[in-house]
Amino acid sequence: MKTAITIAAQEWRYWSRTKLASAVALLAFILICTSVFATFSQVAKEKDTRETLQIKAEETFRDQPARHPHRMVHYGHYVFRTPTSLAALDPGVDPFTGTVMFLEGHRQNSATFSPSYDGAQAGPFSRLTPALTYQLLLPLVLIVMGFGVVAREREAATDRQLVTSGISPISIWLGKTLALGSVAFLLLLPMLAGVALSESNWSIGLGFFALYFFYVLVWVLIITAVSTWSQRTSVSLLILLSIWLILCVLLPRLVAGAAATAIPDTSQIETDMDVIMALRSVGDGHNSRDPAFDRLKANLLQEYGVKRVEDLPINFRGAVAQAAEADLTAILNEYADKRIAGQRVQTQLVKSYEFVSPFIALQSASMVAAGTDARTHHRFLREAEAVRFQFVQDLNKVHEHKMAYVDDINRNRDTDAARRTRVDSENWRVLRDFRFNADPADTRLERLFSSYAVILIWLMVFAIAGLLGARRLPEVNHG
Amino acid sequence: MGSLFREIKFALKDRIVFICLIGVALLSTYSLVAGLQESASEHAMIERTNDLVTQDRQYNLAKQSDAGGAAYYSFHFAYDPPSSLAFVARGVRDDLPWKHRIRMLALEGQIYETDTGNPELSKIGKLDFAFVAAFLLPLLSILLLYDLRAIEIRNNRWAFLSITVGNGNRLLLSRAALRSGLLYISLIVPLIIIALFSGAGFSGTLLVAAAVALNCVFWCLLAYWVFTRIESGPTTAAILLGCWFFLAVAIPVGGKYAVEKSIKVPSGGEILLMQREAVNDAWDLPKKATMTPFFERHPQWANTADVTKPFEWKWYYAFQQVGDQTVEPLSQSLRSAIARRDKAMGLVSLASLPLLTERLLSQAARTDVASFQRYESCVRDFHQRLREFHYPMLFGEVEYSLEHMTQLPDFKPCL
Repeated sequence: MKTAITIAAQEWRYWSRTKLASAVALLAFILICTSVFATFSQVAKEKDTRETLQIKAEETFRDQPARHPHRMVHYGHYVFRTPTSLAALDPGVDPFTGTVMFLEGHRQNSATFSPSYDGAQAGPFSRLTPALTYQLLLPLVLIVMGFGVVAREREAATDRQLVTSGISPISIWLGKTLALGSVAFLLLLPMLAGVALSESNWSIGLGFFALYFFYVLVWVLIITAVSTWSQRTSVSLLILLSIWLILCVLLPRLVAGAAATAIPDTSQIETDMDVIMALRSVGDGHNSRDPAFDRLKANLLQEYGVKRVEDLPINFRGAVAQAAEADLTAILNEYADKRIAGQRVQTQLVKSYEFVSPFIALQSASMVAAGTDARTHHRFLREAEAVRFQFVQDLNKVHEHKMAYVDDINRNRDTDAARRTRVDSENWRVLRDFRFNADPADTRLERLFSSYAVILIWLMVFAIAGLLGARRLPEVNHG
Repeated sequence: MGSLFREIKFALKDRIVFICLIGVALLSTYSLVAGLQESASEHAMIERTNDLVTQDRQYNLAKQSDAGGAAYYSFHFAYDPPSSLAFVARGVRDDLPWKHRIRMLALEGQIYETDTGNPELSKIGKLDFAFVAAFLLPLLSILLLYDLRAIEIRNNRWAFLSITVGNGNRLLLSRAALRSGLLYISLIVPLIIIALFSGAGFSGTLLVAAAVALNCVFWCLLAYWVFTRIESGPTTAAILLGCWFFLAVAIPVGGKYAVEKSIKVPSGGEILLMQREAVNDAWDLPKKATMTPFFERHPQWANTADVTKPFEWKWYYAFQQVGDQTVEPLSQSLRSAIARRDKAMGLVSLASLPLLTERLLSQAARTDVASFQRYESCVRDFHQRLREFHYPMLFGEVEYSLEHMTQLPDFKPCL
């Protein structure tokens, strides 16, 4: 171990002598700090804005004046998805999904206004979040610094000197790995600081950081392994750059494309049309004379022992609105679930390639840890839907119980009837507060287990590859 | 000529060059075929949805007895079909809306509806031809060119070469040009074949080929400039990768940041909220508060009968339009800010050839921001025509009849 440390120290001295390595490391450090800082302040601002808007939306709803409850069903409500604390480091799908959703009766709107709607379009690498900087660019930096760690010695035949002076090949490999690993760790410090600043729950913060730590270590081991096996520095560099290009740039895109083709996503409009076709059997809740409601009518007349809907103690229209909304929502949910399930299969398909590319493994695990994955967004959609259904049905209950049917059907013609169908602003308190939170830390950590396992497998594979390469050191040299 | 063939043979004998060129040809073909498939599925989706929406409209219209109900239940499918070159660049088609189901209610409540697919896939990004040609091509050029001189130096052939050919650098330039040329050919031949096969426009394809050529030449010259000055291959590679990072990543990121800081857009959420308030407040306001601003825009109906009942369709649609009018300044400034941001990014791209290449490609493919805005104004025009069709019936100038409804405007994409 002591010799390994000496070897590592020598490598450090080599780096500090070569201008290139120091320049690359310094620039990388500055870049990472900038990206952490920029994303951090941006997400903090977003969080603040959305929290304020959420409170404002709730107040505005509850402060509405007296009016017909069905008007409030259409007035609707807005819910916002506030970013999680770790979103400051990995915003995940946040820039690609709408962040605000309009909730109203009879419809499930999709989330609108994704940040890319009005953002400047700047090509495929325009969102340089800390997560992407570490996932994509840090490996490249480490390659540029470390492709020659062992190959360089071999090229200059200095490895033979080391071996003949009694240093075991394993120590050489270990020392070089230690050297590159320590650079990597230094470059991880801004991330550590970011985690400490943003996440108050230390277990998930540590879980998140550990992912990046192991991922970077995987790259360190890939680099030292390739460098140990390569006869020449140029070959080592070429192989490493190709590996990076394939694993980090090409493969994820190929897999994502394949997933989109294999499991085609139906468009929202098509889903809407399917729902409309399915709905023709449910009936239009605005029209209580729709034959679809005949059964409801018969049941209610029987229940209250009266002959005409006008004689019911409740407002038949409100009962219809409730029944129609319930039936409609069941169908809407069925289609929404189908679409979400399709997207989950797509995501799973991409994730299954984590055994081929550590980049894919980390990218999906990081979003899970940060609570910024598609799954969390889907939960947002579901929770928002629950809020929608609840307030719409509560308003429909008000519609059913707080006005006379006769007034209700005449309200468009008769000003007095219209006035009598207005209910008090008190009734708008049925709206519940909506605060969207990420899954609890424990749940997220549990979901990460398999990812840790995959990354550890990667670690072992490349540690063994490096060790095997190291054993070849003296023989190759003699041959 | 003989020496050219010798050099080609020489280059292709290098296994790495050979593998790289085959890989590029495969990638290029894959990206183009995937793009074609995407276009085909979009066309199919448009046709299917258009039929469904039209059927649904006819089904609902048959049940309507007045002009208000007819307008309320008539949905129209608006869309921007993929251009014949759309397979070259995906552009903003995954981020910004290109299809809508709209009706005669307030347009501002409908036009921002964006139907995006799985966000995790959007996050990873697409491997379209533009990505390969604009961002990957430089990396591959670096891989193919960085070692051209260093390998001669390492093998102690450099001094010999320099003496025998007189000017070693000139030989290296021609070698670099040859390799870049081969790279270009393996990238562009699939494009030309597929463009011919799919019937894409000649001038558009030529523009794409030219833009990619520019990118290719630039990276060839840059690599030459660096490797003739730096002896070590790895250092050359590191410097070139640094250039790639600076041009393909740092400038776009920095440019985006600067552009978004300096050109502010009104918040979309605010437009939605304001529009909703305007439309909903109208229910409680005196009818005149709606009709007066409405008549300012449409003086021809100012002398029609007053709204006396608590609910009348013409008043209902008037406040829908007034809702749009209220947010008009905000909505217009959002659109103009998006256009200005795009223009500013155009300036930024002059400093980043990869970004410029991508922009040129999506311009040719009509998948750029400008095309999106053209589509959006096309939808706005159509919505306006809908209003112009329905208002005479709502204000009693033309009598509502199913027969008259056959003249309902049909959405036609603006090309």
